[in-house]
Amino acid sequence: MKLPEIGTYAISFLIILVLIFLLPRMMPGDPLTAICGEEVLVEMTPELKAELMHRFALDEPLWSQFFVYLTGIMHGDFGYSYYYNAPVLEIILEALPWTLLLVGTSLVLSTVLSIFIGIESGWRRGKVSDKSLLTTTMILNGFPNFFIGIILLLLFAVYLDCLPLQGAKTPYSDLTGIHSMFDIARHLVLPLIALTLAQIPGSYLLMRNTMITTLKEPFVRTAKAKGLSEVAVRYKHAGRNALLPIVTTTGVRVGIIFTGALFIEIIFSYPGVGLLSYNALLMRDYPILQGVFFLVAVFVILANFIVDLLYRKIDPRIGVNNAEYAH
Amino acid sequence: MHINYWNELTRNNFGKLGLAMLCLVLFIALFAPFLASYDPDEPSHSILMSPSFEHWLGTNDIGQDIWSRLLCGAKNTLLVALGVGVFTTLLSTVIGASAALVGGLYDRILMRLIDALIVIPAFIVIILVAAYVLPNVWTLIFLISVLTWQGGARLVRAQTLSLKERMSVYAARTFGANKRYIIIRHIIPNLSPILFAIFVHSATRGVFMEAGLAFLGIADISTVSWGLMMHHALRFYYLDVWKWWLIPTGLALSVTIMALVFIGHALETAMDPRLWEMEQEDWQ
Repeated sequence: MKLPEIGTYAISFLIILVLIFLLPRMMPGDPLTAICGEEVLVEMTPELKAELMHRFALDEPLWSQFFVYLTGIMHGDFGYSYYYNAPVLEIILEALPWTLLLVGTSLVLSTVLSIFIGIESGWRRGKVSDKSLLTTTMILNGFPNFFIGIILLLLFAVYLDCLPLQGAKTPYSDLTGIHSMFDIARHLVLPLIALTLAQIPGSYLLMRNTMITTLKEPFVRTAKAKGLSEVAVRYKHAGRNALLPIVTTTGVRVGIIFTGALFIEIIFSYPGVGLLSYNALLMRDYPILQGVFFLVAVFVILANFIVDLLYRKIDPRIGVNNAEYAH
Repeated sequence: MHINYWNELTRNNFGKLGLAMLCLVLFIALFAPFLASYDPDEPSHSILMSPSFEHWLGTNDIGQDIWSRLLCGAKNTLLVALGVGVFTTLLSTVIGASAALVGGLYDRILMRLIDALIVIPAFIVIILVAAYVLPNVWTLIFLISVLTWQGGARLVRAQTLSLKERMSVYAARTFGANKRYIIIRHIIPNLSPILFAIFVHSATRGVFMEAGLAFLGIADISTVSWGLMMHHALRFYYLDVWKWWLIPTGLALSVTIMALVFIGHALETAMDPRLWEMEQEDWQ
């Protein structure tokens, strides 16, 4: 059909841009603290104040402030954190790889698992195994991601004491090569499981429903009639055709996993952007908060755009939208 | 689509269980002052006590009775559920239905806006705004609703568009019915199943988001919120207090969300004829 509506994604981007610009400036009180974070007050001198007022053009009308802000972002200038005494982008880039590792592995793992159990469950619809899977995931669906994280933390890291409690690697250990990788993997296990468990119910239910409707299609009967093996019918014919909805919701799921990672990182003190923004929240370090949320939002919008693009390649039929309730 | 909610909900096992759990939480919320043996806000000198006959779930770090606070938290959670549910549904209905009925440029602009809003991770935006605004319960309800109506509005619009083309509407029009009559007698009554489903979904999301924000420490400290209790309790994970402070609070929250998820699932099943037929086979 046609290309995805680039205009729509441009509007999403603009909304985020304007929101992050307006939010600190619309708050009652001193906009300077709202833009720079409360830590700036510690170092505040009349000269610094004058310089900052000038830098953000706070004495000028709103539109020229917006222009200054926009130019900054285009140059990769996301502000300066007075808490860390470093540019925001630098701090975020240090934390980002950990979050990407966690979110990426969780996205892959939860998708693969959901597809597999969704296909199996849909195939066995009404049998005991399907009913118990459905019930288990429905119960799991009731647990907020941070509570799943807490339970895993208390059970495996505190009570059984068999997995690391916090962090992404053992501090001051000087591990190299394979040992370092093993250490990182060991620290990743619990946050990854927590994030993935929280993600599975939604994708599983979607996969199961699509599988059940696909199994009613005539081509499945044809495949069976041809005498194909059960596994071939289940995976190559029905399963493959039931994949579309789960592919199209990938963009939305990236958003949910990022939000989930924010909570999970806090619980396991995992040094990604989630923990970073939590500390920024406690310290009222607004530049970091704005920077992290801007980058995550843009990342999610981009993910949606890419999925939209790919989807139109895979399926020439119109782009039906789904996952209304994803957030 | 005429659905008897009560019949549909009680016919489905998930629906039955969800209703029962929700009734339990509602009962606790209504009668918390009678069930609690202590003032939930009253600090005392006996801090971080283990469960005992006087304090069923022990006390927290400033000596408040955890059991009493747990009971009181139900009210806050249900208030958010109801508030977000009602307000989001209202916004979705007004925006979605008006887009479908007015049509034209107005519809196109709204649809474009909805498409743009849907790809923005709403919870991230809510956390950022809440970090600045530091909302109380009412501003929180407003904030969540204003930032999450888009999915519901799209559903309402689609449903209204299909209702507009119904034979019954054409028939009414031939009998000389005006627009107002058609909206009141034909569109709104037939929208109600989908509105009810949107209400339950929004309520679930509201409970989850309120708890999440409070867990991050963004909450009105004068209210007793389960999320906030977990936020405080997590700091003491190295003591044994998590067994009677953190876990019961998390379970109370999960039971509430689960109740709403179950009811939502039962409703969806009732509304989707394909799923409905299949669940009939499955669960009876």
